[in-house]
Amino acid sequence: MKKIGLGIVGLGYIGNLHLRHSLKVPDARLVAVADMSKKALARARETGVKKLFTNYEDLLKDPEVDAVVIALPTHLHLDCALRAAEAGKHVLLEKPIAKNLEEAKQIVIAARRNSIKLMIGYPLRFNSLFRDIKEKIQSGTLGDVEVAYSTFISSGPFLHRAEGHTPIPVPEWWFHAESTGGGALIDLGSHLINLTRWYFGEVTDIKSHLRHRFNLESEDGAVCLAKFKSGALAVINVGWFSQSYKLAIEVFGSVSNAYAEHTSSNPIMTVAQALTTGTTKLHWPHLAELQHFVHCLSNDLNPSPSGEEGLKDLQAITQAYKNQFSLI
Amino acid sequence: MSLVSFVKVRKNAPESIRSSILESLDLVGYRFSKEVKNVVIKPNLCYYWDRSTGQTTDPDFIASLVSLLRQRISPNVDVSIVESDASAMKCKHVFKMLGYEKLSRDQNVRLVNLSEDDYSPLKVTVDGHVFTIMVPETIRKAELKINVPKIKYMRDPMFLTCALKNVYGCNPYARKSKLHADIERAIVGLNKAMGFNLCIVDGISVSGTQPRMLGLVMASEDPVAVDVAAARIAGLNPSRIKYIKVAASEGLGSSSFVEKGSPMRYFSARYPKRTVRDKVMSTAYRLMTLTRMSRRIGLE
Repeated sequence: MKKIGLGIVGLGYIGNLHLRHSLKVPDARLVAVADMSKKALARARETGVKKLFTNYEDLLKDPEVDAVVIALPTHLHLDCALRAAEAGKHVLLEKPIAKNLEEAKQIVIAARRNSIKLMIGYPLRFNSLFRDIKEKIQSGTLGDVEVAYSTFISSGPFLHRAEGHTPIPVPEWWFHAESTGGGALIDLGSHLINLTRWYFGEVTDIKSHLRHRFNLESEDGAVCLAKFKSGALAVINVGWFSQSYKLAIEVFGSVSNAYAEHTSSNPIMTVAQALTTGTTKLHWPHLAELQHFVHCLSNDLNPSPSGEEGLKDLQAITQAYKNQFSLI
Repeated sequence: MSLVSFVKVRKNAPESIRSSILESLDLVGYRFSKEVKNVVIKPNLCYYWDRSTGQTTDPDFIASLVSLLRQRISPNVDVSIVESDASAMKCKHVFKMLGYEKLSRDQNVRLVNLSEDDYSPLKVTVDGHVFTIMVPETIRKAELKINVPKIKYMRDPMFLTCALKNVYGCNPYARKSKLHADIERAIVGLNKAMGFNLCIVDGISVSGTQPRMLGLVMASEDPVAVDVAAARIAGLNPSRIKYIKVAASEGLGSSSFVEKGSPMRYFSARYPKRTVRDKVMSTAYRLMTLTRMSRRIGLE
């Protein structure tokens, strides 16, 4: 079987994660990468990738590239996704699909018109712990789900990172709502909205309370209450305000409840956990996500979460921004 | 011998902070001159971490200090709060995010990004090494320069950041890491060039192995004595911190001092100090980072 030729556009934190994982997908070969930073390209060269572009338009012209992973800032999704679709390249687009609904619709329409496969990057769907909850909901083990409590609290874009002894600056686009489409709600909330939609069906109503601890243009915290087609309620609690990291969901059903928490995965910690608790947690959601995308391309299947699902997530988020509630 | 005062803040409220600052200055015999027309205050702003982390100077602490300056010097005294861009921190964002823009509006003080200020070169010699330090105009023209640092751990080899290290943030170059190869002497050089007059430590919250409310205001005119005291509070041996030794030998201050006010041991007992386990873990992590092992096993 012919291997899928992959291109990666954007070599920031997530782009680099995709780059490392793309080398581990047996049915794919990394053909090219594109980034404006020559330093980022030089690092990519060390992994063995041969074609390095400072302009993604050149990467999209490459006939060896069958599909692209777009890991650009949100405000650049539209242009790159449209050009990729027009060039006939399949797309794995990082969440959120776009900074607003109008752009998201354009991306979905372009994908349909050009008959390319469009998948939105939501790695939680590929985390075994969160998949277990889906399985429990579907199998009825939990009974009827009444309420879920989901949390994604972290530093968001303000996570302090360093290269050697030199701290890495927060990219400027994160400070501007025009580029991001919003704050913690669209950035982190999109993961939880997608996850809860997957569990409970479409959002029928949603309200939000936004918080501004750091006086940013956009919210740095949000608590949302969402109701779903299944009748379940979910609290969606997101924030960029903490130095600690927590990404978890607890689902309460009429029979039982279930809890899943995302933690960073590495072999040493997994072995330590296996020895102390008898359970293992080794999972690489971004790798599984990329494997699923490549598998769908190789077998002419539709990848999930699709562009349409990304659009529905953004519709729910947009509704949450509109339906704000205040507290005295 | 230098004097260093230690004052317990009874309540984390503006009036209580103001009276504690005043008490700390009285204990070391410091009096504001009515002749002063303009004052520079250098808080410690580090990345985008807010006051709750214990890593950055609380804007409420600065507000209390400004109100004291206006009362003791003149209601019209010109006050500038200064900081400079760093590799990963931009003043235009940090002033806004950490509440300094609000402070500027409420207290009518200027916020100055030293990286955008005019500056003039000044040659200083430290330990036989000549540095050309760019002195920002706002600092050069100030008649009173007040250093308002935090007490916190840094990565080795410095171990501690307090008064002397805070002045490193007056270096207008954003790429401060360029000086890291000779950071101890660079810190001392910057202190010699900037010439701060007074140090008031915001030790109400501190950052050790974790943040903690310590309720301390510490003051002195001697930055070396302040750093020696801060090191002891943090459970560190000041004689092992190179820049403190160099600063003392360069005449920036004295390593010995007289304690005034509450006993230093009261605060030392409450500081969240590094344990042996912390030291072993940080050494192991550093080794793994240096050998790139941490990346290979997925810790990075």
